[in-house]
Amino acid sequence: MQPVKWLVEFVDVRLGLKDLYDRELRGYLLPRNVNVWYTLGAVLMALFTLQIITGILLLMFYVPDSEKAFASIQYIMNDVPFGWLFRMLHAIGANVIMIALLMHMLSVLFMASYKGRREFTWLTGFIILNLTMGLCLTGYLLPWSQLSFWATTVATDAAGAIPVVGDYLVEFLRGAPTVGNQTLGRFFALHVVGMPLVLLGLMGAHLFCVKRRGISSPPFGPDYRASEELPFFEHEKHPNGIPFFPNYFVKDAAVICFFMAFMLAIIFYAPGMFFPESAFQKADPFVTPQHIKPEWYFLWAYQALKIFPSEIIGLGVQVVFMTFLALLPFIDRGAERRPAKRPLFVTCYVLGILLFVAISIWGHYS
Amino acid sequence: MSRSICCLFVLMIVAGWSMPAALLAADTVCIECHGGQEGRLGAPVAQWRTSVHAANGISCNDCHGGDPTDYAMAMSPERGFIGVPKYTEVPDFCGRCHVGVAEDYKAGAHGQAIDRGAAQCVVCHGNHAIQRASLDLINETDCSRCHSYERAALIRMSLVETDTMVRKVETDLDRLYRLGFAVNDMQDRLFNQRNVFHRTFHGVNVDEVRQKTAGVQAELGKINMEVASIDTTLGERKLWGSVTIAIFILTGVVFLLVRKAYEEDEKG
Repeated sequence: MQPVKWLVEFVDVRLGLKDLYDRELRGYLLPRNVNVWYTLGAVLMALFTLQIITGILLLMFYVPDSEKAFASIQYIMNDVPFGWLFRMLHAIGANVIMIALLMHMLSVLFMASYKGRREFTWLTGFIILNLTMGLCLTGYLLPWSQLSFWATTVATDAAGAIPVVGDYLVEFLRGAPTVGNQTLGRFFALHVVGMPLVLLGLMGAHLFCVKRRGISSPPFGPDYRASEELPFFEHEKHPNGIPFFPNYFVKDAAVICFFMAFMLAIIFYAPGMFFPESAFQKADPFVTPQHIKPEWYFLWAYQALKIFPSEIIGLGVQVVFMTFLALLPFIDRGAERRPAKRPLFVTCYVLGILLFVAISIWGHYS
Repeated sequence: MSRSICCLFVLMIVAGWSMPAALLAADTVCIECHGGQEGRLGAPVAQWRTSVHAANGISCNDCHGGDPTDYAMAMSPERGFIGVPKYTEVPDFCGRCHVGVAEDYKAGAHGQAIDRGAAQCVVCHGNHAIQRASLDLINETDCSRCHSYERAALIRMSLVETDTMVRKVETDLDRLYRLGFAVNDMQDRLFNQRNVFHRTFHGVNVDEVRQKTAGVQAELGKINMEVASIDTTLGERKLWGSVTIAIFILTGVVFLLVRKAYEEDEKG
């Protein structure tokens, strides 16, 4: 027997990998009309994996101390072999993840894939989106640039608007009355350990929900079936479907490659796209930059606050909107999933996207 | 959605992004008082807001002294208030910060003749609305107000090439800085050379200007070589980046073709 074959047999007899492959990969059948939007989950897993790898590499050189953090980033960018690449992959990768997450959420909304007893899948996904924004925010402080410092000062100051506990919360978040070494320490801990652990758990839960309930069919074409609300648990099967591996996996791999190409194109041809000038200046608590803008995915919230006469109203409106979005599967109970048969939903969907884009642009130029 | 998610969202995103302006340093008492006045007492505030001084955080008290935090003592000589300098005192007034320029100016023809009404700083540069200096300040219209333009024209000609070099190095270093390169050392050296360059022509001595600008050009040339070396590295990175991007796109296309083949099988 050849050594490789022998090794495969040796492992298989003990762990049953072939059986696992036949059942979970080759035997895992997807709907025949599954489309390209279904690849975004795999794209996100690939991007998050890249974040973990580049994050670990950055951790080898980054120093979470307010006196040394900025210098350590400069060291990574200028002296560590390929340090600039790891840092850019990490920072720009975070923005690409946000793009992929929003596309994933919008596609799920459009195809009403949250229907058919998939509330847990939607909720875990929605929390992943929010947690990722939290990871972006905590990661923002770590370079200890002017942008980091003042963006965090303003963001943590926001907690003060919450009635009764606001002031305590501000100090709790910062670890001190003002943003400083204590803040950097706790944001660092949250960014590299706390939040990633929770995120990994949530991703596991999300995948479990998808796998356990069964993947939803796209609501298009002759195979369309309305989602049924059965009084008992049922795994949605696709007996005439296509195998996940290798048939659909190659499409996942193709889209992952295109996303990687897109990210590298930004890194090599437009590296400054997500970095304003204040991102390259060391934090100075005594000099406030004139124009601090949040990242593009927070711009809508930034501008929405300015539209309303008081901060607390703006805040309340956003909380109501996000709560509505989180609870959508519990509110939208109709069985119909075809967009053509849901004109009200599609109108709100399109207007919602246009509003998001318009408010974000307004926020950028305000 | 649970309240905790709402709170998390609130903490993360919303409330505070709103008003960065609120965090800006408060105006000094000088600006608060004079900003509300009309005529010659209020005009300097609006002019100053457009100036290079304002853009760099240089406020009233940095030149005029006094206490910018205390209404009662803001214009007290006890707190170092100077007020408006006399015509002949202006070079010393500005020279507290622009030391080298003042030194060369005083040694030059203008500085030596200031008692007889020769040009001093504000004659050419203006005062409160002062902008970043450029060679445009040496022009026939302005210089001819006091004397013929020939000598000034010669000085200007000797400066043009160096000025262009300084601007190019500035632009290059800013570009590299925005890409995350540590260019502090080069920026410091440029700063020194720019100071040497700027003070040079305040002496209004043609030979000295030619000699000193040659030295400045040599130093700028060294910085240019370092910039070129970084640009070469950037070019190599871009080349390898392009290759990697092409590989990813091609691999993606190959995967799509494989998928196409599977689709044919699935139809069958």
